[in-house]
Amino acid sequence: MADIEIEIDGNSINAKAGEMLITVTDREGISVPRFCYHKKLSIAANCRMCLVDVEGAPKPQPACSTPIADGMKIHTQNEKAKASQKAVMEFLLINHPLDCPICDQGGECELQDVAMDYGSDVSRFTEGKRIVADSDIGALIQTDMTRCIHCTRCVRFGAEVAGIMEMGGTGRGEDMKIEPFLTEGIQSELSGNMIDVCPVGALTSKPFRYELRSWQMNAVSNVARHDLVGSNIITQTYKGKVKRIVAKDNESINETWISDRDRFSYEGLSHENRLLSPQIKVEGTWKEVEWNVALDFAIRGLANNVINTHQSDKLGALASNTATLEEFHLLQKILREIGSENIDHRLNVKNLDHAISLESNIKLLGLEGIDHALVIGSNLRLEQPMISHRLRKANLSGASIDVINAMAFDFNYRLNSENIISPNQTAATLAGVLKSVLGNAHIEVPDYLVDIEVSDIAMQLADKLSQSNNSVIVLGEHIVNNPQASSIANLVSEIAQHTDSTTLNVSATANSMAANMAGFVPGKDGLDVNAMLAADLKAYILLDVYPQYDFHHSVQAVEALSSDDTFVISLNSFKDDAVAQYSDVLLPIASFYETSGSHVNVEGEVQSFAAAVNAPSDTKPAWKVLKVLADLLELPGFHYADSAQVTSEIMHQSHKQHAHNESIDVKVKRGINVIWQKSPYAVDVLSRHATSLQATNIGQINSASMNKATAKKLEVALGDEYLGVPVAINEAVANNCVFVNANHSTGVQS
Amino acid sequence: MINNIKKLVKDFSLSELRGGLKITAKELINKKITVQYPEEKTPISPRFRGIHALRRYPNGEERCIACKLCEAVCPANAITIESEMRDDGTRRTTQYDIDLFKCIFCGFCEEACPVDAIVETQIFEYAFVGSRDGNDNIKGQFGSVITKDQLLEVGDKNKKMIDQTKLEDSKYK
Repeated sequence: MADIEIEIDGNSINAKAGEMLITVTDREGISVPRFCYHKKLSIAANCRMCLVDVEGAPKPQPACSTPIADGMKIHTQNEKAKASQKAVMEFLLINHPLDCPICDQGGECELQDVAMDYGSDVSRFTEGKRIVADSDIGALIQTDMTRCIHCTRCVRFGAEVAGIMEMGGTGRGEDMKIEPFLTEGIQSELSGNMIDVCPVGALTSKPFRYELRSWQMNAVSNVARHDLVGSNIITQTYKGKVKRIVAKDNESINETWISDRDRFSYEGLSHENRLLSPQIKVEGTWKEVEWNVALDFAIRGLANNVINTHQSDKLGALASNTATLEEFHLLQKILREIGSENIDHRLNVKNLDHAISLESNIKLLGLEGIDHALVIGSNLRLEQPMISHRLRKANLSGASIDVINAMAFDFNYRLNSENIISPNQTAATLAGVLKSVLGNAHIEVPDYLVDIEVSDIAMQLADKLSQSNNSVIVLGEHIVNNPQASSIANLVSEIAQHTDSTTLNVSATANSMAANMAGFVPGKDGLDVNAMLAADLKAYILLDVYPQYDFHHSVQAVEALSSDDTFVISLNSFKDDAVAQYSDVLLPIASFYETSGSHVNVEGEVQSFAAAVNAPSDTKPAWKVLKVLADLLELPGFHYADSAQVTSEIMHQSHKQHAHNESIDVKVKRGINVIWQKSPYAVDVLSRHATSLQATNIGQINSASMNKATAKKLEVALGDEYLGVPVAINEAVANNCVFVNANHSTGVQS
Repeated sequence: MINNIKKLVKDFSLSELRGGLKITAKELINKKITVQYPEEKTPISPRFRGIHALRRYPNGEERCIACKLCEAVCPANAITIESEMRDDGTRRTTQYDIDLFKCIFCGFCEEACPVDAIVETQIFEYAFVGSRDGNDNIKGQFGSVITKDQLLEVGDKNKKMIDQTKLEDSKYK
């Protein structure tokens, strides 16, 4: 890469022609002060702080927007450079208030740091300082716009990364203000990153306001478990509590950004609904007991109901998708050692005969290099914000994106085509695409496609896929409960194969890749979740399950679990009425950031993390609880000293492939189809208890959207409730489809 | 040899004894400087660093804004502060404790304070009452850990003295 040679402060340095000077100095570790420059944002060159002396140039040049040329001689530290930097600093401080003592950015403020080096002790400015009124921009970000130095990083972040230009500069000169264009507050799902990019205290975290100073906290690297990405984060802790979460750079996972869900969900950790002590149910009433009593009770229950009566196949284990890889592994190992194969984590799937089985074979980083994408059944932006961000980057650099959805969602990039198709027709449409693809490639059409009529839409989608060199097909969450889910996944796989496309399966959530990796699925002769609930099992071990949110058949689930002769051991991090109703023992477990473990993301990357804080009160990390349970049951092979030993055991075992349905059904179904989905900020128990997240616009999404015709058929109207969720009439929804986004438990899911 | 003779002369002439008695005689006539504490007290510099106090603005509002600079600068880690947003939106402490056993009375807290909230007064005659936290029921008494309310009380009670000493010292700052 060494194209040319330049000289910085007397040292010759090799660099690429055309690189900006600041990129070279950053790489070489030469410090140049800056405010508006950010490596992930476009160059604005408006703060002028990075002025350096370039030999031959009459005036100092901004390093961030000066492309280097061969033989250039640059001085970053000579008198001319220093004098201009000091002058700029003096101008910046003219209107900046001296309120560092009450500013939350104090101690981690770029302006403060640079002012220490380049500022003067005494201000020569005696006139009145500018004051800017604050605007309320939502529950997550606190504004103090008087402190703003107009670097426009937040504006550029909105326009370039978040894709929604929500902040902007109005007015000129001294009257310039950075403010939101709308009064409803910031809507972006990535808005929290504005706090990170703001070099001063103009934008700070609202939930964290006035609580602590940056130097008081310990920083622990961690991994967020809310989505399929596993964004790298830094948990900042104080006195054993997580107080703030900021993004950690990882170019191949989350770049420098994290979603608001990853950033603000920590608030749930100190919610009053945390389950903090072991409890057992004695004659219908809950009693707080010591751990050993609760564990003995659990073991006795298992022994009486299952082990001693030799019906180990009457034992089942269910886990939520947010558990760690180690927890999944230990729980399935316990079950298999006892002799039961009734293990499942796919609680939200209506019919597991049609379970989606589709490998993802593209890296997150690879998403940026695609030239075409077909997104099927996903509101990607709110479900997997970081994946959506990668697609947006690809789109901005020229990739075309087609969408097949049951409802028109807000995409923050330009779509090539948005096809609103009823879930009943999705399979048929994709069959048309496949037929057309095969036609393009002059391959004979298999029997099941012969009768398919290829619509114009299908033809266009197929042409686009056939023509592009590097395309990806993204299969989303809305397909999970499609009556033809497995057919759709199989069609996608066929299409991908014949168009040389890669596939990305984002139909599962959170850490479900880890569940698959650990083999947390029913084995041979094992029952899946729905079969278990129907089979009248004698005992269950449940790992952080909240039936009203997690199960598709939530009513049946609570009923089945509540049965008198069923012994239920619940490992939970939060209290929940339904859990209390059916459980016999409640074992309090550590939540996110309180336990060590691993996350497996959509590309199969295993990321291990340590606990950032100790588990509060009487709670214990679930992997320890499971290990002790196994020891008490006298099962062999549970000698672990830490969770890393569990991880390495998983890495050395062969991964079980679970059977999948290979049939393809392409008939158009009849009837009304309901797509039930938890709201973006209700996907896991921690987010549901994060009060600030719930107060945002996205957190309050709670509607059953349908068009007028469907509403008429269902005999509901605006103001009614459908499945316990308020009806919203929206013509953007496909006919015969109801799109439900629920942020609370209703106990009914179609 | 010669030194031995010198020493003999010195010893037998009692010159050292007379030298000592001379000082005694002089001090018999000189003005006495003994202070009859506690009836009498020595003058104290305005920079004296006695027990701490938290000050208020003339309108009664507490000065402290929970910037935690005193906590950060304290070499003995004697200060503990917890803060939050008060209902009116201002930044305030919910806890401001100084562990007087740890405190070395260096005065760094006072120097670090951007709003002159925490000060060290000229009061050095105090006692810890009761256990660590003292007995809050007895006004004006505190334990080895002095709390925010007690610090404010010290400040309120000695407002005149604090204002006076700060004024005297202000010209040297």
